Amino acid sequence: MNTALQGWGLWIALAGATLGTYFCRAIGVLLAKKINQESEIFRWLAAVTYAMVAALVVRMVLMPIGLLATVPLWIRILICLLSLGVMVSKPAHRLVPALLTGTLLMLAYGVIR
Amino acid sequence: MSLADKPYIDPSEIALEGSGVQRFKDSSHAFWSGIRDAAGAPAMVLFAGMVGFGAMGKTNGMDVWFTSATSFLMFALPGQVVLLEMAITGSSVLAIALAVTLTSTRFITMTVTLFPQFHEKDRNHGLYASVHLLAMTAWAISMREFQTIEAKHRLSYFIGLGLLCWLISVPGTILGYYLAGMVPPAITLGLVFINPLFFLLTFTEVKVWINRIAIGLGFVLGPFFFILDRDTSLLTTGLVAGTAAYLFDRKVLRKKAGVIG
Repeated sequence: MNTALQGWGLWIALAGATLGTYFCRAIGVLLAKKINQESEIFRWLAAVTYAMVAALVVRMVLMPIGLLATVPLWIRILICLLSLGVMVSKPAHRLVPALLTGTLLMLAYGVIR
Repeated sequence: MSLADKPYIDPSEIALEGSGVQRFKDSSHAFWSGIRDAAGAPAMVLFAGMVGFGAMGKTNGMDVWFTSATSFLMFALPGQVVLLEMAITGSSVLAIALAVTLTSTRFITMTVTLFPQFHEKDRNHGLYASVHLLAMTAWAISMREFQTIEAKHRLSYFIGLGLLCWLISVPGTILGYYLAGMVPPAITLGLVFINPLFFLLTFTEVKVWINRIAIGLGFVLGPFFFILDRDTSLLTTGLVAGTAAYLFDRKVLRKKAGVIG
Protein backbone atom coordinates (compact mmCIF):
# COMPACT_ATOMS: atom_id res chain seq x y z
CA MET A 1 0.00 0.00 0.00
CA ASN A 2 1.26 3.46 -0.91
CA THR A 3 1.56 6.29 1.52
CA ALA A 4 -1.32 8.70 2.00
CA LEU A 5 -1.69 11.63 -0.37
CA GLN A 6 -0.39 14.83 1.12
CA GLY A 7 -0.20 18.55 0.44
CA TRP A 8 -1.10 19.56 -3.10
CA GLY A 9 -1.80 15.98 -4.18
CA LEU A 10 -4.68 15.90 -1.73
CA TRP A 11 -6.19 19.16 -3.02
CA ILE A 12 -5.81 18.06 -6.64
CA ALA A 13 -7.64 14.84 -5.75
CA LEU A 14 -10.39 16.98 -4.18
CA ALA A 15 -10.59 19.10 -7.35
CA GLY A 16 -10.99 15.94 -9.44
CA ALA A 17 -13.61 14.54 -7.09
CA THR A 18 -15.51 17.85 -7.05
CA LEU A 19 -15.51 18.10 -10.85
CA GLY A 20 -16.63 14.47 -11.20
CA THR A 21 -19.49 14.97 -8.75
CA TYR A 22 -20.63 18.22 -10.36
CA PHE A 23 -20.33 16.65 -13.81
CA CYS A 24 -22.94 14.04 -12.86
CA ARG A 25 -25.29 16.71 -11.53
CA ALA A 26 -24.85 18.87 -14.66
CA ILE A 27 -25.42 15.94 -17.04
CA GLY A 28 -28.66 15.33 -15.15
CA VAL A 29 -29.80 18.93 -15.77
CA LEU A 30 -28.93 18.60 -19.45
CA LEU A 31 -30.89 15.35 -19.82
CA ALA A 32 -33.79 16.58 -17.69
CA LYS A 33 -34.62 19.18 -20.35
CA LYS A 34 -35.31 16.48 -22.90
CA ILE A 35 -37.26 14.03 -20.81
CA ASN A 36 -41.01 13.87 -20.67
CA GLN A 37 -42.38 12.74 -17.34
CA GLU A 38 -44.97 10.53 -18.94
CA SER A 39 -42.48 8.61 -21.03
CA GLU A 40 -41.39 5.02 -20.56
CA ILE A 41 -37.79 6.12 -20.13
CA PHE A 42 -38.85 8.21 -17.16
CA ARG A 43 -40.46 5.22 -15.44
CA TRP A 44 -37.36 3.17 -16.12
CA LEU A 45 -35.01 5.86 -14.80
CA ALA A 46 -37.06 6.26 -11.62
CA ALA A 47 -36.76 2.50 -11.01
CA VAL A 48 -32.99 2.62 -11.68
CA THR A 49 -32.59 5.52 -9.24
CA TYR A 50 -34.52 3.79 -6.48
CA ALA A 51 -32.44 0.64 -6.99
CA MET A 52 -29.20 2.67 -6.80
CA VAL A 53 -30.27 4.40 -3.60
CA ALA A 54 -31.32 1.02 -2.15
CA ALA A 55 -27.90 -0.42 -3.02
CA LEU A 56 -26.23 2.52 -1.30
CA VAL A 57 -28.31 2.05 1.86
CA VAL A 58 -27.77 -1.69 2.04
CA ARG A 59 -24.05 -1.08 1.66
CA MET A 60 -24.07 1.42 4.54
CA VAL A 61 -25.88 -1.09 6.77
CA LEU A 62 -24.28 -4.41 5.79
CA MET A 63 -20.78 -3.30 4.78
CA PRO A 64 -19.99 -0.08 6.64
CA ILE A 65 -16.52 1.25 7.18
CA GLY A 66 -15.19 2.65 10.42
CA LEU A 67 -16.99 2.59 13.73
CA LEU A 68 -20.21 0.97 12.55
CA ALA A 69 -18.21 -2.03 11.29
CA THR A 70 -17.37 -2.86 14.91
CA VAL A 71 -21.05 -3.60 15.64
CA PRO A 72 -22.02 -7.23 14.90
CA LEU A 73 -24.02 -7.61 11.71
CA TRP A 74 -27.02 -9.20 13.43
CA ILE A 75 -27.30 -6.25 15.84
CA ARG A 76 -27.27 -3.78 12.94
CA ILE A 77 -29.98 -5.76 11.15
CA LEU A 78 -32.05 -6.22 14.33
CA ILE A 79 -32.02 -2.48 15.07
CA CYS A 80 -33.03 -1.72 11.46
CA LEU A 81 -35.95 -4.15 11.71
CA LEU A 82 -37.12 -2.71 15.04
CA SER A 83 -36.99 0.84 13.65
CA LEU A 84 -38.88 -0.26 10.54
CA GLY A 85 -41.46 -1.82 12.86
CA VAL A 86 -41.97 1.50 14.63
CA MET A 87 -42.18 3.26 11.26
CA VAL A 88 -44.89 1.04 9.76
CA SER A 89 -46.86 0.63 13.00
CA LYS A 90 -48.66 3.87 12.08
CA PRO A 91 -47.62 5.06 8.64
CA ALA A 92 -48.17 8.81 9.08
CA HIS A 93 -45.59 10.89 10.91
CA ARG A 94 -43.63 8.10 12.50
CA LEU A 95 -40.28 9.07 10.99
CA VAL A 96 -38.83 10.85 14.00
CA PRO A 97 -39.90 8.22 16.59
CA ALA A 98 -38.53 5.49 14.31
CA LEU A 99 -35.25 7.38 13.86
CA LEU A 100 -34.96 7.90 17.59
CA THR A 101 -35.66 4.22 18.25
CA GLY A 102 -32.82 3.14 15.98
CA THR A 103 -30.35 5.78 17.11
CA LEU A 104 -30.97 5.24 20.82
CA LEU A 105 -30.79 1.44 20.46
CA MET A 106 -27.45 1.81 18.69
CA LEU A 107 -26.26 4.20 21.40
CA ALA A 108 -27.43 1.74 24.07
CA TYR A 109 -25.49 -1.04 22.39
CA GLY A 110 -22.41 1.21 22.40
CA VAL A 111 -22.83 1.81 26.13
CA ILE A 112 -23.34 -1.80 27.23
CA ARG A 113 -20.78 -3.54 25.03
CA MET B 1 -42.78 10.13 -2.97
CA SER B 2 -45.24 11.71 -5.33
CA LEU B 3 -43.85 11.12 -8.75
CA ALA B 4 -43.16 7.55 -7.91
CA ASP B 5 -46.77 7.11 -6.99
CA LYS B 6 -48.12 8.44 -10.26
CA PRO B 7 -45.28 8.67 -12.72
CA TYR B 8 -47.62 8.91 -15.72
CA ILE B 9 -49.48 11.97 -14.47
CA ASP B 10 -47.79 15.27 -15.18
CA PRO B 11 -47.54 17.02 -11.81
CA SER B 12 -47.84 20.42 -13.47
CA GLU B 13 -51.29 19.40 -14.65
CA ILE B 14 -52.33 18.52 -11.13
CA ALA B 15 -51.15 21.91 -9.99
CA LEU B 16 -53.19 23.69 -12.67
CA GLU B 17 -56.35 21.87 -11.71
CA GLY B 18 -55.83 22.57 -8.06
CA SER B 19 -54.98 26.23 -8.41
CA GLY B 20 -57.94 27.03 -6.17
CA VAL B 21 -56.14 25.44 -3.23
CA GLN B 22 -52.70 26.96 -3.32
CA ARG B 23 -50.25 25.66 -0.82
CA PHE B 24 -47.98 28.69 -1.04
CA LYS B 25 -49.01 32.29 -1.68
CA ASP B 26 -45.75 33.33 -3.38
CA SER B 27 -42.27 32.06 -4.06
CA SER B 28 -40.78 33.52 -0.90
CA HIS B 29 -43.39 31.63 1.11
CA ALA B 30 -42.41 28.45 -0.76
CA PHE B 31 -38.72 29.12 -0.12
CA TRP B 32 -39.19 29.55 3.62
CA SER B 33 -41.43 26.49 3.79
CA GLY B 34 -38.62 24.55 2.16
CA ILE B 35 -36.24 25.81 4.84
CA ARG B 36 -38.76 24.91 7.56
CA ASP B 37 -39.32 21.41 6.17
CA ALA B 38 -35.57 20.85 6.02
CA ALA B 39 -35.08 22.01 9.61
CA GLY B 40 -36.44 18.80 11.15
CA ALA B 41 -35.47 15.20 10.58
CA PRO B 42 -33.68 15.86 7.22
CA ALA B 43 -31.29 18.46 8.62
CA MET B 44 -30.74 16.33 11.72
CA VAL B 45 -29.83 13.34 9.58
CA LEU B 46 -27.56 15.26 7.25
CA PHE B 47 -25.92 17.12 10.12
CA ALA B 48 -25.24 13.83 11.91
CA GLY B 49 -23.81 12.36 8.72
CA MET B 50 -21.48 15.33 8.30
CA VAL B 51 -20.48 15.17 11.98
CA GLY B 52 -19.58 11.53 11.38
CA PHE B 53 -17.57 12.48 8.30
CA GLY B 54 -15.74 15.26 10.17
CA ALA B 55 -14.82 12.75 12.87
CA MET B 56 -13.59 10.39 10.17
CA GLY B 57 -11.37 13.13 8.68
CA LYS B 58 -9.87 13.88 12.07
CA THR B 59 -9.20 10.27 12.98
CA ASN B 60 -7.51 9.76 9.61
CA GLY B 61 -5.12 12.66 10.00
CA MET B 62 -6.62 15.16 7.53
CA ASP B 63 -6.65 18.86 8.38
CA VAL B 64 -9.89 20.65 9.17
CA TRP B 65 -9.73 22.82 6.02
CA PHE B 66 -9.55 19.85 3.68
CA THR B 67 -12.22 17.89 5.55
CA SER B 68 -14.75 20.74 5.54
CA ALA B 69 -13.88 21.79 1.96
CA THR B 70 -15.05 18.38 0.72
CA SER B 71 -18.46 18.99 2.32
CA PHE B 72 -18.71 22.47 0.82
CA LEU B 73 -17.52 21.59 -2.68
CA MET B 74 -18.75 18.03 -3.16
CA PHE B 75 -21.79 17.86 -0.83
CA ALA B 76 -22.13 14.12 -1.49
CA LEU B 77 -21.33 12.04 1.54
CA PRO B 78 -20.64 8.67 -0.14
CA GLY B 79 -18.29 10.37 -2.62
CA GLN B 80 -16.55 12.20 0.21
CA VAL B 81 -16.00 8.92 2.08
CA VAL B 82 -14.57 7.32 -1.07
CA LEU B 83 -12.24 10.30 -1.58
CA LEU B 84 -11.01 10.12 2.00
CA GLU B 85 -10.58 6.36 1.95
CA MET B 86 -8.64 6.40 -1.31
CA ALA B 87 -6.52 9.41 -0.35
CA ILE B 88 -5.50 7.66 2.86
CA THR B 89 -4.49 4.50 1.03
CA GLY B 90 -2.56 6.56 -1.51
CA SER B 91 -4.52 5.95 -4.71
CA SER B 92 -3.69 8.05 -7.77
CA VAL B 93 -5.56 11.29 -8.38
CA LEU B 94 -7.08 9.90 -11.58
CA ALA B 95 -8.33 6.74 -9.85
CA ILE B 96 -9.88 8.86 -7.09
CA ALA B 97 -11.64 11.16 -9.56
CA LEU B 98 -13.03 8.18 -11.48
CA ALA B 99 -14.20 6.28 -8.41
CA VAL B 100 -15.90 9.36 -6.96
CA THR B 101 -17.58 10.11 -10.29
CA LEU B 102 -18.93 6.55 -10.43
CA THR B 103 -20.34 6.87 -6.90
CA SER B 104 -22.01 10.11 -7.98
CA THR B 105 -23.79 8.69 -11.03
CA ARG B 106 -26.95 8.49 -8.92
CA PHE B 107 -27.18 12.29 -9.25
CA ILE B 108 -27.82 11.93 -12.98
CA THR B 109 -31.02 9.97 -12.51
CA MET B 110 -32.02 11.92 -9.40
CA THR B 111 -31.86 15.15 -11.40
CA VAL B 112 -33.61 13.62 -14.39
CA THR B 113 -36.50 12.44 -12.24
CA LEU B 114 -36.83 15.63 -10.18
CA PHE B 115 -36.06 18.61 -12.41
CA PRO B 116 -38.70 18.02 -15.12
CA GLN B 117 -41.25 18.74 -12.38
CA PHE B 118 -40.22 22.39 -12.20
CA HIS B 119 -42.27 24.99 -14.02
CA GLU B 120 -41.27 25.67 -17.63
CA LYS B 121 -40.09 29.21 -16.83
CA ASP B 122 -37.74 27.89 -14.15
CA ARG B 123 -36.11 25.35 -16.41
CA ASN B 124 -33.21 27.55 -17.53
CA HIS B 125 -29.46 27.85 -17.00
CA GLY B 126 -29.97 28.79 -13.36
CA LEU B 127 -30.63 25.11 -12.71
CA TYR B 128 -26.93 24.42 -13.24
CA ALA B 129 -26.36 26.31 -9.98
CA SER B 130 -29.37 24.87 -8.11
CA VAL B 131 -28.34 21.32 -8.93
CA HIS B 132 -25.40 21.54 -6.54
CA LEU B 133 -27.95 21.61 -3.69
CA LEU B 134 -29.35 18.24 -4.78
CA ALA B 135 -28.48 15.38 -2.47
CA MET B 136 -30.28 12.22 -1.44
CA THR B 137 -32.13 13.95 1.43
CA ALA B 138 -33.51 16.85 -0.60
CA TRP B 139 -34.37 14.49 -3.45
CA ALA B 140 -36.37 12.10 -1.26
CA ILE B 141 -38.35 14.93 0.32
CA SER B 142 -38.97 16.82 -2.91
CA MET B 143 -40.22 13.69 -4.68
CA ARG B 144 -42.80 13.36 -1.92
CA GLU B 145 -43.76 17.01 -1.45
CA PHE B 146 -43.86 18.18 -5.10
CA GLN B 147 -47.17 16.34 -5.52
CA THR B 148 -48.92 18.94 -3.41
CA ILE B 149 -46.94 21.98 -4.58
CA GLU B 150 -47.83 24.05 -7.61
CA ALA B 151 -45.25 23.77 -10.38
CA LYS B 152 -44.35 27.47 -10.22
CA HIS B 153 -43.38 27.26 -6.54
CA ARG B 154 -41.44 23.99 -6.66
CA LEU B 155 -38.07 25.52 -7.47
CA SER B 156 -38.28 28.00 -4.58
CA TYR B 157 -39.26 25.20 -2.21
CA PHE B 158 -36.43 23.01 -3.46
CA ILE B 159 -33.85 25.81 -3.10
CA GLY B 160 -34.96 26.52 0.46
CA LEU B 161 -34.75 22.84 1.33
CA GLY B 162 -31.41 22.22 -0.40
CA LEU B 163 -29.77 25.45 0.74
CA LEU B 164 -30.30 24.74 4.42
CA CYS B 165 -29.01 21.19 3.99
CA TRP B 166 -25.90 22.44 2.16
CA LEU B 167 -25.19 25.28 4.59
CA ILE B 168 -25.35 23.10 7.69
CA SER B 169 -23.06 20.50 6.16
CA VAL B 170 -19.93 22.62 6.70
CA PRO B 171 -20.49 23.47 10.40
CA GLY B 172 -21.49 19.81 10.90
CA THR B 173 -18.19 18.64 9.45
CA ILE B 174 -16.18 21.11 11.52
CA LEU B 175 -18.06 20.15 14.69
CA GLY B 176 -17.45 16.45 14.04
CA TYR B 177 -13.78 17.13 13.38
CA TYR B 178 -13.28 18.77 16.78
CA LEU B 179 -15.66 16.44 18.64
CA ALA B 180 -13.84 13.30 17.51
CA GLY B 181 -12.12 11.77 20.46
CA MET B 182 -13.99 14.02 22.89
CA VAL B 183 -17.38 12.27 23.01
CA PRO B 184 -17.76 8.61 24.02
CA PRO B 185 -17.78 6.16 21.09
CA ALA B 186 -21.36 5.18 21.97
CA ILE B 187 -22.59 8.65 20.96
CA THR B 188 -20.56 8.64 17.76
CA LEU B 189 -22.03 5.22 16.99
CA GLY B 190 -25.56 6.58 17.33
CA LEU B 191 -24.67 9.53 15.06
CA VAL B 192 -23.13 7.52 12.25
CA PHE B 193 -26.12 5.17 12.26
CA ILE B 194 -28.69 7.94 11.61
CA ASN B 195 -27.75 8.25 7.95
CA PRO B 196 -28.44 4.72 6.69
CA LEU B 197 -31.44 4.44 9.00
CA PHE B 198 -33.08 7.58 7.63
CA PHE B 199 -32.93 6.36 4.05
CA LEU B 200 -34.07 2.89 5.01
CA LEU B 201 -37.12 4.38 6.73
CA THR B 202 -38.04 6.70 3.84
CA PHE B 203 -38.32 3.62 1.59
CA THR B 204 -41.47 2.64 3.47
CA GLU B 205 -43.11 5.77 2.01
CA VAL B 206 -42.65 4.54 -1.56
CA LYS B 207 -46.07 3.32 -2.64
CA VAL B 208 -45.87 2.34 -6.29
CA TRP B 209 -44.97 -1.28 -7.03
CA ILE B 210 -42.39 -0.78 -9.78
CA ASN B 211 -40.25 1.29 -7.41
CA ARG B 212 -40.85 -1.05 -4.48
CA ILE B 213 -39.58 -3.94 -6.59
CA ALA B 214 -36.58 -1.87 -7.68
CA ILE B 215 -35.73 -1.16 -4.03
CA GLY B 216 -36.13 -4.83 -3.03
CA LEU B 217 -33.92 -6.01 -5.88
CA GLY B 218 -31.41 -3.28 -5.07
CA PHE B 219 -31.18 -4.62 -1.51
CA VAL B 220 -30.55 -8.16 -2.74
CA LEU B 221 -28.21 -7.40 -5.65
CA GLY B 222 -26.32 -4.49 -4.06
CA PRO B 223 -24.01 -6.57 -1.84
CA PHE B 224 -23.42 -9.04 -4.68
CA PHE B 225 -22.22 -6.36 -7.10
CA PHE B 226 -20.28 -4.67 -4.31
CA ILE B 227 -18.22 -7.83 -3.84
CA LEU B 228 -17.65 -8.08 -7.60
CA ASP B 229 -16.44 -4.49 -7.98
CA ARG B 230 -17.05 -1.87 -5.34
CA ASP B 231 -16.54 1.25 -7.46
CA THR B 232 -19.10 0.40 -10.13
CA SER B 233 -21.47 -1.49 -7.84
CA LEU B 234 -24.06 1.29 -7.42
CA LEU B 235 -24.32 1.81 -11.14
CA THR B 236 -24.54 -1.87 -12.04
CA THR B 237 -27.03 -2.60 -9.26
CA GLY B 238 -29.16 0.34 -10.35
CA LEU B 239 -29.18 -0.68 -13.98
CA VAL B 240 -29.80 -4.39 -13.39
CA ALA B 241 -32.35 -4.09 -10.56
CA GLY B 242 -34.08 -1.03 -12.05
CA THR B 243 -34.38 -2.60 -15.51
CA ALA B 244 -35.67 -5.87 -14.05
CA ALA B 245 -38.30 -3.98 -12.03
CA TYR B 246 -39.28 -1.94 -15.07
CA LEU B 247 -39.64 -5.03 -17.28
CA PHE B 248 -41.63 -6.88 -14.63
CA ASP B 249 -43.92 -3.87 -14.30
CA ARG B 250 -44.38 -3.57 -18.05
CA LYS B 251 -44.89 -7.27 -18.81
CA VAL B 252 -46.81 -8.37 -15.73
CA LEU B 253 -48.13 -5.65 -13.44
CA ARG B 254 -49.62 -3.34 -16.05
CA LYS B 255 -51.71 -6.19 -17.41
CA LYS B 256 -53.41 -6.74 -14.10
CA ALA B 257 -56.28 -4.35 -13.57
CA GLY B 258 -56.24 -2.54 -10.26
CA VAL B 259 -52.56 -2.84 -9.59
CA ILE B 260 -51.62 0.38 -11.29
CA GLY B 261 -55.08 1.79 -11.67
